[in-house]
Amino acid sequence: MQKTKEIQTEFKPKILAFCCNWCAYAGADLAGVSRFQMPTDVRVIRVMCSGRVPPELVIRALANGLDGVMVLGCHPGDCHYSEGNYLTRRRAHILKRLLTYIGIEPERFQLRWVSASEGAKFSAVVKEVTDQITALGPNRWAEKR
Amino acid sequence: MATPRIGAFICHCGTNIGGIVNVPEVVEYAKGLPYVAHAEANLYTCSEEGISSIKRAIEQYDLNRVVVASCTPRTHQPLFRSACADAGLNPYLFEFVNIREHCSWIHREHHQEATEKAKELVKMGVAKARWLEAQQEFESDIYPAGMVIGGGIAGMSAALNLANQGFEVHLVEKEPGLGGRLLRLNRIFTIDKDPRELVENIVKAVGNHPRIRVHMPASVKAVSGYIGNFDVSVDEDGQETSFKVGVIIVATGAQVLKPELYGYGESANVLTQLDLEEKLKDGELGKFQNVVMINCVGARIPERPYCSRVCCMTAIKNAALMKEINPEAKVYLLYRDLMTYGVEFEQYYRDAKEAGVRFIRYTLDALPRVSGTESVEAVKVYDELMDMEIELPCDLLVLATPLIPNDDNEELSRMLKASTGDGGFFLEAHVKLRPVEFAMDGVYVAGTCRWPADIRESIAQGYAAASEAMIPLRQGLVKVEAITAVVDPRICKGCGTCTLVCPFEAAGLKECEIRGLEGKIVSEVNAALCKGCGLCAAACPNGAIQQRGFTDVELMSMVNAMSGKR
Amino acid sequence: MKATSAELQTRVKDLFEDGTISHFIGYETGSDSLRVAPCFLEGSQEIGRLVWNPVCANNLAKYLLDFKNVPGRVGIMVKGCDSRSVVELLKENQIDRDRVFIVGVPCSGIVDREKLLQVMGISPTQVVAVQDEGDSFLVTLTDGEQRVDKEKVLRDECLVCRYPNPPVYDVLTGETVSRLPWVGDDYSMVKEQEALSLEEKATYWNRELSQCIRCYACRNICPVCTCSECIFDKKAPRWISKANDLSENLVYHLIRAFHVAGRCVDCGECERACPMNIPLRRLNKKVEKDMLELFNYTAGIDVEQQPPLTTYRVDDLDEFM
Repeated sequence: MQKTKEIQTEFKPKILAFCCNWCAYAGADLAGVSRFQMPTDVRVIRVMCSGRVPPELVIRALANGLDGVMVLGCHPGDCHYSEGNYLTRRRAHILKRLLTYIGIEPERFQLRWVSASEGAKFSAVVKEVTDQITALGPNRWAEKR
Repeated sequence: MATPRIGAFICHCGTNIGGIVNVPEVVEYAKGLPYVAHAEANLYTCSEEGISSIKRAIEQYDLNRVVVASCTPRTHQPLFRSACADAGLNPYLFEFVNIREHCSWIHREHHQEATEKAKELVKMGVAKARWLEAQQEFESDIYPAGMVIGGGIAGMSAALNLANQGFEVHLVEKEPGLGGRLLRLNRIFTIDKDPRELVENIVKAVGNHPRIRVHMPASVKAVSGYIGNFDVSVDEDGQETSFKVGVIIVATGAQVLKPELYGYGESANVLTQLDLEEKLKDGELGKFQNVVMINCVGARIPERPYCSRVCCMTAIKNAALMKEINPEAKVYLLYRDLMTYGVEFEQYYRDAKEAGVRFIRYTLDALPRVSGTESVEAVKVYDELMDMEIELPCDLLVLATPLIPNDDNEELSRMLKASTGDGGFFLEAHVKLRPVEFAMDGVYVAGTCRWPADIRESIAQGYAAASEAMIPLRQGLVKVEAITAVVDPRICKGCGTCTLVCPFEAAGLKECEIRGLEGKIVSEVNAALCKGCGLCAAACPNGAIQQRGFTDVELMSMVNAMSGKR
Repeated sequence: MKATSAELQTRVKDLFEDGTISHFIGYETGSDSLRVAPCFLEGSQEIGRLVWNPVCANNLAKYLLDFKNVPGRVGIMVKGCDSRSVVELLKENQIDRDRVFIVGVPCSGIVDREKLLQVMGISPTQVVAVQDEGDSFLVTLTDGEQRVDKEKVLRDECLVCRYPNPPVYDVLTGETVSRLPWVGDDYSMVKEQEALSLEEKATYWNRELSQCIRCYACRNICPVCTCSECIFDKKAPRWISKANDLSENLVYHLIRAFHVAGRCVDCGECERACPMNIPLRRLNKKVEKDMLELFNYTAGIDVEQQPPLTTYRVDDLDEFM
């Protein structure tokens, strides 16, 4: 009798990261310049301010099947546009609670603060979030048909 | 709208990208993407050759959109945009994809995955490019004046440079006199001159210059506006003064750390190098026989990991000077590393050794220890090279401490939207390519407020910052990047949400004047005030207000591309 | 509610006759005795059509939007919840304050049609009228009268109502309601849901929202859904596909919950209009609870209060270090 070998494909998540131009994107650039090595699962979309990211787009991204969505912005008080990240923060609270309320794992949506000089932090956040989402497994939203 | 014809240019960046990402594979992949009419690889897209290649391709393949996949847009976006403009293509029909800082450089051990990621990023960039629209920039006049904050050597150099070029300068200094820390120094190394000579001439030039107005003692209270049109309010000795400038140069300097180590502040015979300079200058240094200097005090430690650049030379200069004043004195300099770079400094170090200064190396894990009753009397140090602990008698202990950021950096940073970096010093726009400007347009930086610098460097940076600042001043015109918000009055329901979220009061409700919509209350954006943050677009319930270059359609297309949806 | 239909009719007749209003939005009897329909009057000729009774569930604030460009001044009768919706409409400039005349009617509860029929074991044709008697309803049937405990048959949103008296009005018709004895913890329903495990939550909402047929009745009836071009009707970008599957249904309901965040006053109309009996209040009430806890905000009370997602405090909760 032949033994069938099970091929274990390791789950590689698809994670979207909205990065604000002035802090988070620059921090990501610095991480690159400093050659901090990171997992390969994150794709960055540049926006001018984290406040540009509408909660609807995060919902849409998760519904499309992306395993995780991050929004990265300047530390509160340091927003290039003075207030954007404060609004992002309020929206993120409501969104995170709403997602949890309907049964979506809260780690699938994360808001983090990364400044332009925090290349190391960007790298650490990418690693941390990738690990967390890998542990959660694939986003089953798209299977809700 | 004509059918999009996108040109995709994938850069090797030498081996920076090409050594990890399989660029030819990405090019082939790009060819298969929707609306891509042409795809090619470049060795260095930012080179003369790369730029020509883009222009050629635009013409040859009748391209109406360009996507470049290379480094970060924060460096070369302006370059590629003007390449498009030169070829007759609106510069906003250009999209930048980052496959270097965000891909090849961070996935060096995973070539295949990096290649797949690069393909996906290009796919997202192409998806967005398809939706880009030609944009016109809003033009605004530049007020032909500059403000320099800080009247030290860097600030004065910048101010003179600007003024000599024909521009009005407001120089704001918080102390009651110009000259900064230079005035407190005793001697300047390698040329052994009294700094007062150097400084006095410059101070006089500044004071007499017809185009420089000095506000002193004064501090900046508020700054609003944007490049070309800054409104500044200054508190000048209790009185408020306001003026308009087109550019701002920050040269506020730094302060010397006063340590809580080695008995500083407790014993009268423990000084910082700056204290020593001041005492020497004022002739107040008493007799000494046994001088011990300790370098890297409070520097190059976990809480403050940087090297302050100027202290080694200052210590060596003063050590040699101690020997000069009292050739019989014993002078010991305890160091961890000696940063005496270049020809002159290395020579100076050798000369100091020959003059009898003794250099002893210590390490971070075996710090020197001081002892004494009312004052420091001895210093114990583990000499690494001799592998033994020695005790040095001491009647004058001088500590070399680093330059640290001024206390008001945070506040100034907030006022000017100028970033600060690690440790609280100001952070330039790009570590290598844009050393004297901030990411915020129209604001520049020079001197030790950015990073510890010596006098030559401070002067050079002052000139450099003034040079950069003169570019917009000379152009006389500033073009506001066309990423501002626009309202579609047909969709807008006049709820006012955008007017509430805008940090700059750029959106306001008014009666529409468009035929068919007369009298309808809708929002309108003042392009001169709009900074292009996009808060309004995210808050709008029905997408009536959109941010050009970052519209819902454009962002959604990238999300869909990443998730494999059409 | 103490005002009778007659008292209301008198009030409105006077308003027409002294020129205060040119139009009026009210209720008239519906297709049976347990339903009312919105009624639009242009004068006092047909004033007899107006009714005010425990069956008047509809939130009439929605119809103010139709009068935005109609000259004159429109009068409207509003219960507590309805007047809060009017406050939200005023906040968003959907109608000018000086073009609306608000007749506030204190309300001590609206009867839930399905609950009444079930509790009393009757069919709708047997019902002639329903009257408010303080802690109970007096139901007049074709063959007699019966009293029924209010708490058993009130609409769910009335059981947690904190605003029986309209916070905004030009004139009040009827005595103010002093207390509603049945109101307890208004968020017990949400807390019950929050206590479920993540898996249980997902199972619950997947089950409920798969019933959604995307008729958009909830959106259409909601007084604060005022966009003439709704985000869900847009083609560029397309936020949800036409496919009526659970995945898209979830997106629709989540986005709508976000859009009414800080504006929903829990009038319950969405749930009442839903043909599939989806517990929509259970979703929107969660956002309402978070708004109160996180930002100390209640919708529809004060026209000057800024919508919570358009403002901030430096010391807002920050879980995102």
